[in-house]
Amino acid sequence: MADRSLLMEGGELQSPLVRLCIEAATQSGDAVETWRRQRRTLERLPSQLAQALIHRLLCRRLLYPSLLEVFKYSIEKIDLSGESSVDAEWMAYLGAFHYLYSLNVSDCHRINSSALWALSGMRYLKEVDLSRCSKVDDAGIKHLLSIQTIEILLISETSVTTNGVTLLSSLKRLSKLDLGGLFITDTTLASLQVLTSLQHLDLWGSDISNDGASILVKFPNLTFLNLAWTKVTVLPNVSSIACLNMSNCTIHSILKGEGNKAQISKLILAGALFKDITKAFSYFDSSSLSFLDLSNSSLRDVSFLPILHALEHLELSGNLVGDDSVKFIASVGANLKTLNLSNTRVSSDGVAVLVGHVLKLETISLDSTPTDDFAISYIGMIPSLKAVSMKGTNVRGLIQQNGGDAECVLSLTALENLKQLEKLNLEETPLKDEAIVAISNMKQLTHLSLRSSFLTDASLHHLSSIPNLINLSMRDAILTNAGLDSFNPPPSLQVLDLTRCWLLTKDALLSFVQRHSGLEVRHELVTAVLFDNEDKCCSPLQTSSRTSQQRRFSSSPLKSEIATIIDQRLKYSRAELLSMQFSSMSVDPSGDPATSPK
Amino acid sequence: MKKEDTVKLISAEGFEFVIDKNAAMVSQTIRNMLTSPGGFAETEHREVTFPEISTTILEKICQYFHWSIQYASGKETEFYIEPELTLELMMAANYLHT
Repeated sequence: MADRSLLMEGGELQSPLVRLCIEAATQSGDAVETWRRQRRTLERLPSQLAQALIHRLLCRRLLYPSLLEVFKYSIEKIDLSGESSVDAEWMAYLGAFHYLYSLNVSDCHRINSSALWALSGMRYLKEVDLSRCSKVDDAGIKHLLSIQTIEILLISETSVTTNGVTLLSSLKRLSKLDLGGLFITDTTLASLQVLTSLQHLDLWGSDISNDGASILVKFPNLTFLNLAWTKVTVLPNVSSIACLNMSNCTIHSILKGEGNKAQISKLILAGALFKDITKAFSYFDSSSLSFLDLSNSSLRDVSFLPILHALEHLELSGNLVGDDSVKFIASVGANLKTLNLSNTRVSSDGVAVLVGHVLKLETISLDSTPTDDFAISYIGMIPSLKAVSMKGTNVRGLIQQNGGDAECVLSLTALENLKQLEKLNLEETPLKDEAIVAISNMKQLTHLSLRSSFLTDASLHHLSSIPNLINLSMRDAILTNAGLDSFNPPPSLQVLDLTRCWLLTKDALLSFVQRHSGLEVRHELVTAVLFDNEDKCCSPLQTSSRTSQQRRFSSSPLKSEIATIIDQRLKYSRAELLSMQFSSMSVDPSGDPATSPK
Repeated sequence: MKKEDTVKLISAEGFEFVIDKNAAMVSQTIRNMLTSPGGFAETEHREVTFPEISTTILEKICQYFHWSIQYASGKETEFYIEPELTLELMMAANYLHT
């Protein structure tokens, strides 16, 4: 919710006075009552202003069905996703919106088929998102058929059956159709053949088999196809496809057939099983493939990779690939920007093979691999890296030379060569304080995540010298109250995560939070305290960051007020309340109890 | 204040507001009108008519210009907007890019 309103402000509403006006207009229910009668003004309201206003009302919990009416000439696009209060009454008002072209009521669980009746006959509606409205079924689809302008229809995970989907064939302008999670058979798909403008088709989790897949060639404009979790093993040559998702399928061949070869740019095959992956990759034009996700596919061999010259994002996590496979990755490394090798068997020797071949690599993930400090020194030779994640590896921060304790080299100093490194994740590694000194020299670092029970106050002190740090996480560390007290956070710091730093006490954390009001501190004790304050409703403490305050303000003031009222009622029995009524009358309101006569 | 340093803003009803030119420049729209080359009447006479903006709203807009300049110079006060003016003022602000 907060994100959505920010997007509006960042996107279209640059004007500060407009923002002040929206704030003032949504200050309270009384403010709304003042302007809601200005009908002629409301009719003239430009749509982007009306949309910003309506979203702010929604965030402030001031929007209710009959208020929607005043916006019926000004709103063109409305997003009510996830609003539990949206029901048939809301839809009745929304159906009267004259110029509405986009309606998003995804995850609104009160929406049912009869609620959609209100939409029938709308003249300009192009986009309808009913995803996960589980009460919408075939009857609901019938109501939509009268809206011939619909181009985008999203009905994944609703209760629509094959009968309802067959009806969709009369919506001739459909270009994007999401039927994910619905029970759709091959014959149902065949009935949709007439929808030749379709560009985007989601069929994940359906009952489509190879017979159904053979129909897909009849859609001449199809560019996006999602067949994840289906029984399709052979996908025919749908030559217009650019983006294909066949995750969790058993794959024999992809896009094999006559005619022009499909130019795939994005291919998601996570968790897929291959009969022969080299053969599966040989039928389509892979020269423009830039995104490939093969995570969790039990691959041992990636020798098919060298034909994929345009690769920018490669996801191989959770596979059985080892160091011998890295040479194939290196051979297509020229354009690679993102590489994920988490949960593979790649060790430091494998990382060494990448050096010099991946000159554009910005993100590398080696989480839970058997890599160690030597990998760090190789990573230091990949100059364009911006983000490095080595969570759960054997990185200790020290390289022992000649086996003796006396000659130790700090391995993390190698990362100082990476002038663009912004994000570093070394959680769940046996790092010690000595190793942290090297990190404090990485001046461009903005995000740092550490999680080691060997780290102490000394580390925290070192890290305060990183000038641009925005997000610092030091979970499980042995930090003391004195250490936190003397910690001087860098001015740019926004989030400090101290979860499970068990030595810290509530008082020490609170005084730290009070001293650094712009900082969001995460710790078990801090969240508990924040909730306490919310219940009291009026707290002098300036805690937590700006973002979390907004989140709380958007919904809490009213709620917490109600909570306190209920508390008061439940606290006393009827008899007690009656006796209190007497006692309050017997006390002289102006008199001080000490001086008043008894 | 010299005459060259002021501009005249005229409301729909014909009321004239003479204000500091720098304050009026808070509005991107007015700034464009006053500074664009090509000899527009607005540039020459330092006078802008707003047939769509009522006197009440234009007065509030002028107050906002001055408040905004003070705010920028570090005087952090609150700019109060009467609820009944919010919609009209919002539209005017949108038009004036302020």
